[in-house]
Amino acid sequence: MGLSRVKSFMILIGSLGFLAGAGNGLAETGPDTVVLDSLAEFYEPVQFNHAVHVDLAEGKCAKCHHHTTGAAPLEPRCLECHKGGSDGGVYACRDCHPLKRFEADYLAALDGDRQRFHLDKPGLKGALHRNCLTCHVENGGPAGCQDCHARNAKGDALFRADIVAPPPGQPTGGH
Amino acid sequence: MKNFNRRNFLKGGLATGLAAAATGAPKPAAASGTFGGYPNSMGVLVDFTRCVGCRSCEAACNKEQGLPAPDKPFDDLSVFEERENGQQRRTSERAYTVVNRYDQTDRKSGPVFRKFQCNHCNEPACLTSCFVNAYTKTPEGAVAYNSKVCVGCRTCMVACPFYVPAYSYSSVINPVVKKCVMCYDTRLKFGRPPACVEACPQEVMTFGHRDDLINLGHERIRNNPDKYVDHIYGEKEVGGTAWMYMSDVPFEQLGFNTNLGNEPIISYVKDFLTIVPMVLTIWPALFTGFYLLANRKKAGVGAEKPEPKQEEKKS
Amino acid sequence: MNKLIKQGFAPVNSHFKADGRTRWSVKEKLFLGLTPGEYLAQALRNPFNWLLVVIYAVGLPILFGRFIFGLGWVTHSSYDYPWGLFLGWGLFTMVPLSASGFMMGTTVELFGRDDFKPIERLGLLNGLLGYLFAVVFLQVDLGQPWRLIYPMFVSLGPAAVLFLVAWHVATYLSCQVAELVPAFAEWMGMPRTKKFVKSLVLGLTVAGIILSTLHQGALGALFTYAPGKVHPLWYSAPFQWFHFICSAIFAGLSMLIVVSTITKWSMRWRCDDKFLDNLDRLTLGIAKGAALALITYLVIKVIAIAHDGDWRYLVTGWGQWFILEITVGVLAPLVLFTMAIRHQSAQLARVAAFIAVFGIALNRLNTALIAFNWNLYREIPHWREVVIVITVYSTYLVVYRAVLARMPILFRWKE
Repeated sequence: MGLSRVKSFMILIGSLGFLAGAGNGLAETGPDTVVLDSLAEFYEPVQFNHAVHVDLAEGKCAKCHHHTTGAAPLEPRCLECHKGGSDGGVYACRDCHPLKRFEADYLAALDGDRQRFHLDKPGLKGALHRNCLTCHVENGGPAGCQDCHARNAKGDALFRADIVAPPPGQPTGGH
Repeated sequence: MKNFNRRNFLKGGLATGLAAAATGAPKPAAASGTFGGYPNSMGVLVDFTRCVGCRSCEAACNKEQGLPAPDKPFDDLSVFEERENGQQRRTSERAYTVVNRYDQTDRKSGPVFRKFQCNHCNEPACLTSCFVNAYTKTPEGAVAYNSKVCVGCRTCMVACPFYVPAYSYSSVINPVVKKCVMCYDTRLKFGRPPACVEACPQEVMTFGHRDDLINLGHERIRNNPDKYVDHIYGEKEVGGTAWMYMSDVPFEQLGFNTNLGNEPIISYVKDFLTIVPMVLTIWPALFTGFYLLANRKKAGVGAEKPEPKQEEKKS
Repeated sequence: MNKLIKQGFAPVNSHFKADGRTRWSVKEKLFLGLTPGEYLAQALRNPFNWLLVVIYAVGLPILFGRFIFGLGWVTHSSYDYPWGLFLGWGLFTMVPLSASGFMMGTTVELFGRDDFKPIERLGLLNGLLGYLFAVVFLQVDLGQPWRLIYPMFVSLGPAAVLFLVAWHVATYLSCQVAELVPAFAEWMGMPRTKKFVKSLVLGLTVAGIILSTLHQGALGALFTYAPGKVHPLWYSAPFQWFHFICSAIFAGLSMLIVVSTITKWSMRWRCDDKFLDNLDRLTLGIAKGAALALITYLVIKVIAIAHDGDWRYLVTGWGQWFILEITVGVLAPLVLFTMAIRHQSAQLARVAAFIAVFGIALNRLNTALIAFNWNLYREIPHWREVVIVITVYSTYLVVYRAVLARMPILFRWKE
C-alpha cells in the first residue's frame, strides 16, 4: 500500500522535475504537501507541509536538498565522486538514500564495492531524521517523536506504552 | 621422615608430578600472545553528535532480546534524571543497553546523549577471566555468552572495565550473566546489524567492518575538524573494541573512562601467569633440594657440620 | 569441661579405657568418653554454646533463605560490586589465614624442624578447615553452586586465573586431608592407613608448597583483572601476586598463634603437656617467621608504590586510609613481633599476632570491597549478608572445636 502511494508521489515529483527542466518557476517551490509513508512501521505516515518549509527556508532549496538536478551535489563528501551531479530528475531523498539500509543484501553489496563513502551514506530513515530533526532541535522546532508522526498500535507495543510509570520516589526494583 | 629412602622419595615425586600435571599443564600455552581481533570482524561506530535521546534503541533491544518489561515505558524521558548510588543508569539484567543524558552548557543542540552497551572487546576481559570458558569472541566480532556452563562466580563482572555484564540475582534456579551479545544469534550471524542499530531514527550507529569503520570515523573527523574530538574511543582502548564512539565533547565528560590505556586487560594478569609454569617446575626440585640439605644427617648421608637451626633444645 | 577435669575426668586419648583392655567404641570416642547425658550437660554449661544457639536461630533461616529466594534476597544484588562479604571475607581473608598448613608442613617435614612438631598438626588443621570453609563460603556466593565442578570437568577455561585457583584449592584441599589422615587414623585405630600416608608426606608437602604459592598468589592476581577498579595503592599488576603470597605467610603464622592462644585459654583440658610446655617457645619461633614475612611484605609494598609511581596517591584520603592499614596491620605487628623476640615474650607475640590477623583482614577487605570501585561509591553489605557470614563462620568454629576436642591435634594419642 505504502509503496504504491510512494510511486504516485514519485511520479508527481518526476513531473515536477520535468517542469523544472523546462525552466518553469514551479520547481522552486515544489509540492505543497508530501506524505512520507514508505518507512511507516511504528508511526503513522508524516504529512509533511512542504510549502511551509519552503517559506521557512526562504526559498533556498539547498537548505534541505543538498543536490539539484544536473548540478554538482552540495554535500562535499558526495562531490568527491559525483562531480557532475545526478542525471535525471532526482529530488526525492529516497533516490539516493536506500530504504532497506540494514538488510543483509544491501550490506553485502556495500561490502562488495568497498566504497567507504557509501558506507557512510545514511539510509532513508537516517537521512530524513537527520535532515529534519537536527534543524528542528537547533531552531526550536517541534522535536518530540510524536510531534511529527503519531505512534501507531505497533509502536505503542514496542515502546511499552501500556506501562504506567510508578510515582517518583518509589523504588524501581532491580538495579 | 626418619626412614627416608629412595622408594619413598620416588613416591613423593610422583605425587608432586601428578598434582602439577593436573593443575598447571594447560595454562602456560594460553598465557602468551595478544589477539588483535578477527580480520573481518564487524563493528559499530556510534556518533554521539547525532543522538537525540529518543530511546528507540532501548525499546528495540528489549523486544529483540525478549527482556522483561521496564518500569517505565520507553518514551518516558524521566529516566535521564534517575540516579542510583549517585550513578546514572547502567546496563542491567533487564536492559542490555541504556541511553544517558549529559547536560552541556554551551552546545548548540543541547545535551549529549550517550548510548551504552557491551563494547565487544577484541580481547575481552570477561572472556579471559572466565574459568568455564562461557564467553566466545565470534569471528563476526560479537562477544557471545553461554549461560549453560556459567557457574555464577561473577569474575567477568569484576574484570569488565566498562561495568557492562549484569547478573540475574533475582533468579533462584538459573541466575546467569545478562549482557548485550550484539544480537548474535538472531541477526549478526545472518549478516544483519543489531536491532538497536536498525531502530535508530538518526542512524547514530554505523554498522560495518571494524577496519572500515575506523577509516570512516577518522575521515569524518578530518572533514569536520572543528566538530569532533579527534579521537575514536574504542579504536585502541583495552586492545580495541568492536563498538567505537565519536563525540563533539570530551569523552571524560560523557562518563567514559579515559584512563584505561590501550593494553587488553589480560596483559595486566600476564605477570602472574608467567610465574605459574616456573613455580610448577622449579619449586619441586628446589624444595626437594632443601629437604635433602636439611636432612643430610638424618638421612644418613653423613654430614660434617651439626645442624645450626635449632635454637633451643627439644623438651 | 574444665569442671569435669577438676573432678578427675580424663577425655579419651587412647584406644583403651582406663582398665587398659576394653576398647572405646567410635560412639564413645565421639562423646569423649562421657555419656550422652553428661556430654549434653557440659555443653549446656558453656556460655559460648548459648551464643551459638542465638546465632543459629537467626542465621540458619536466613542461610536457607539464600537458597530458597536467591542471592537477590540476601545481598544488594550489586552489578558494580559483584563480590561482597562472602568472598571478601570467606575467600580472600580465610585463605591467607589458612596458609599455616603448608608452612608448618614445610618447616617440619621439609626443613626437618622437628622442634615444631607439637604445633604442626594444629597448623595443618587450621589450613584444612580454613580452606574447607572458604569453599563453603564460595558455595554460598556462587550463583549456581551445583555447577562447582564445571571448571574441572564440564567446560574448562584454563587461561583464567580463577581456573588455577579452583584446581589448586581443590587439589590442595585433598592434599591437606591426606596430611591430616594420620591424626584421623590414630583416632580411628587404622595404623596401616597412617603408615601409607606417612610414606607420601614429602610429596604432599612439596605439592602443598607449589599449590599454596600459586593459589595464594592467584587470589591476588584475580584483582589484576580490575586495573581501573581497585585503588592504585592496593593494586600492582607485577607485584599483586607477591603481595598476596607474602602477606599470606605472616597471616597464616599469626593465625596459628591466635588459634593456639585461644585453644590454650579455652581448651586447656585437651592440650597435653608437650603442647603447653612448648607453646611459648613455638610461639616465638613462629613469630620470627612472621616478622621476616612482614618486613619482606612491607618492603615489596613500598617497592610496588615506587614502581607504579603511586606516591601522589598517598596524600589523598585514600592514601591516609592506606597508611593507616600499613601502620596498624603491618608496622605495628612487625614492631611488636620484633620486641617479643628480643624480650622473649610470647605474650607480646600473641598481641602482635592478633593485630596482624586484623591487619590482613583489613587488607583483603580493602582490596576486595572498600578500595574497590574507588571512583564510584561505597557499597554497604546487606544485613542478611552479614548474618550469613557470621553463621557460616560460627559453623567453622564449631567444626574446629569438635575436631580439636577429639582427634590428636593438641595432644598425642597413646598407642
